[in-house]
Amino acid sequence: MVFNACMKHKLVRKSVREFAEAELGPIAHEIDREARFPAEVVQKMRGLNFFGLQVPKRYGGAEADSISYAITIEEISRVSGAMGLCVTVHNSVGIYPILKYGTEEQKERFVPKLASGEHIGAFCITEANAGSDASGVETSAVADRDGYVINGTKIFVTNGGVCTTPLIFAITDPDKPGRSASVFIVEKGTPGFTVGEIEDLCGMRANPVSSLFFEDCRVPKENLLGKIGDGLKIGLNALDTGRIGIGAQAVGIAQAAYEASVKYSKERQQFKKPISSFQSVQNTLADMATEIDAARLLVYRACDAKDGGKEFGKEAAMAKLYASTVASRVTGNAVQIHGGYGYSREYDVERFFRDAKVTEIYEGTSEIQRMVIARSILSEPI
Amino acid sequence: MVKMIVCMKQVPMVSELPWDRKTGLLRREAADGMMNPACKSALEAALRIKEEHGGHITAITMGPPMAREILHEALAMGADRCLMVSDHIMAGADTMATSFTLARAIETYCSDFDLILCGCHTSDSETAQVGPQLAEELDIPSIAMVDDLRLAGRRLRIERVSDHFLETLEMDLPGLVTVTTAHFTPRYIPMAGLQDAFQEPNILTAGAHDLGIEEGQSGIKGSPTQILEVFSSTAGKQNVVMTGAPKKIVEDLFALYEDSIGSVIRKDLKAVK
Repeated sequence: MVFNACMKHKLVRKSVREFAEAELGPIAHEIDREARFPAEVVQKMRGLNFFGLQVPKRYGGAEADSISYAITIEEISRVSGAMGLCVTVHNSVGIYPILKYGTEEQKERFVPKLASGEHIGAFCITEANAGSDASGVETSAVADRDGYVINGTKIFVTNGGVCTTPLIFAITDPDKPGRSASVFIVEKGTPGFTVGEIEDLCGMRANPVSSLFFEDCRVPKENLLGKIGDGLKIGLNALDTGRIGIGAQAVGIAQAAYEASVKYSKERQQFKKPISSFQSVQNTLADMATEIDAARLLVYRACDAKDGGKEFGKEAAMAKLYASTVASRVTGNAVQIHGGYGYSREYDVERFFRDAKVTEIYEGTSEIQRMVIARSILSEPI
Repeated sequence: MVKMIVCMKQVPMVSELPWDRKTGLLRREAADGMMNPACKSALEAALRIKEEHGGHITAITMGPPMAREILHEALAMGADRCLMVSDHIMAGADTMATSFTLARAIETYCSDFDLILCGCHTSDSETAQVGPQLAEELDIPSIAMVDDLRLAGRRLRIERVSDHFLETLEMDLPGLVTVTTAHFTPRYIPMAGLQDAFQEPNILTAGAHDLGIEEGQSGIKGSPTQILEVFSSTAGKQNVVMTGAPKKIVEDLFALYEDSIGSVIRKDLKAVK
């Protein structure tokens, strides 16, 4: 077991950090304030393989290992959580299911454009009456001649406003929602597929999270991913990989809040001393550093299990649960250390605070993570 | 096809460099390393030549084993192959011993070069000597502190700012240039490049024996430079706060700086009074 970063991972961190600080750093505050998706930076990310991080070379990806992937998400999120979200959702739940369950024809048709970033991916389960309970999905796909007709509304779709090949979770038999759940690849421009208003969210504001509408949207049968009824399996597997990314994202946001707190506590003087000289502030900083380290190691352990071809569902859920809890706590404490300035929108820590909260909610809430973990440990032999 | 060699050095990343107070040498192991910024610009210059004219780039570094990291970085950026020159008898080399060692490495492994590019200086020692000394060792022409360059056939046209004048110079190849960070901003490294650079890295390792170098020719024993003392420079500035009524402050100011102010406005202020 190796706890020190190897040369490759050090260099990955250094390179991504250099890019994120130079290109996203100057605009991170502004794109959050204006809820603007920075297309100009996305264009630069395309050339660096950020949209095909783990995609095999033959489909135009970088074929990176999972720790390189996690570090990339961490470092982008350290500067802009919203852009870390764009990249991780695209790479994990947007592409991974096609690579794992797609036919060769589907891979050749969809993956190269996704890997180059020309197309942006998304994964849509959540609906007005379904989310944590995926079997409550009401979006329907009805077999019709040589294809399927999709009807329904998906909400809170990450990358929704910019996605070009979202994966849609739908049921083909309303009487058997669980057994008939299936995943369809829908292409932008397909008649009947429209994008709703961009959501006015508390955090992650530079990501165009939106609703997607499907009204008699006909897709060819070649766009069915896996088989009819594979939906839950594909969904759960996609979410396992997604959780590694969200864990990494949470670590990145927490790291940013921690670094800002260390810097500020050394500068801010009260009672004629820097506040970092007070034991209560030191205790908070020590807890922040410890918890972030622990969260990071949990994320990398999940990566290691995934790359080793082992089951990683429990590990990914633990990493996501812990990292998101830590991110919320650390960013809250960062606001506290910054005092009144922390509560001001002039400083970045309030953005970290808003961005961190949702890591406890999406890609499975903390409650769902505990359910996944409990189910796994209770099924293990003692 | 232009055959290029880029010499590069790993430098500590931190701005406050830790040094060993007894020997006066930098404690490189105490800080995270990075490719010296000017060396990275030199590699960028080589990559642009390669893109425009076709070429082959060999990146060379001399240093402790951990310096290998910057060779992986060079491969990730687009270098074709690398040479790691490392041996315990090379430790503590000054600029002369370093250029001597690099020259032997180049003669041994890539003597068939057209152009050598070095960073104009390093952020940890700032001597700017290794590049020009290497050209002397190899007996080739060199131009230091190059801001921009363009290749036309076997002739290199360069631009550099010297004493606030823009110089344009030409040099026939083979030759050596040292490159500044002014024009050649290094490219970002794509993830595919980073992964490839560690997959099957084309990095050759050479020790003193491979280069026919003996103890006393390189490293601290082969270095005529002797560091007598290393110390922090002090700024030597002091703020003077003047207090009192405005009239008194102006009088005090003139009393203190009469000569300096007079020389700037070209008046003898004593006479004005």
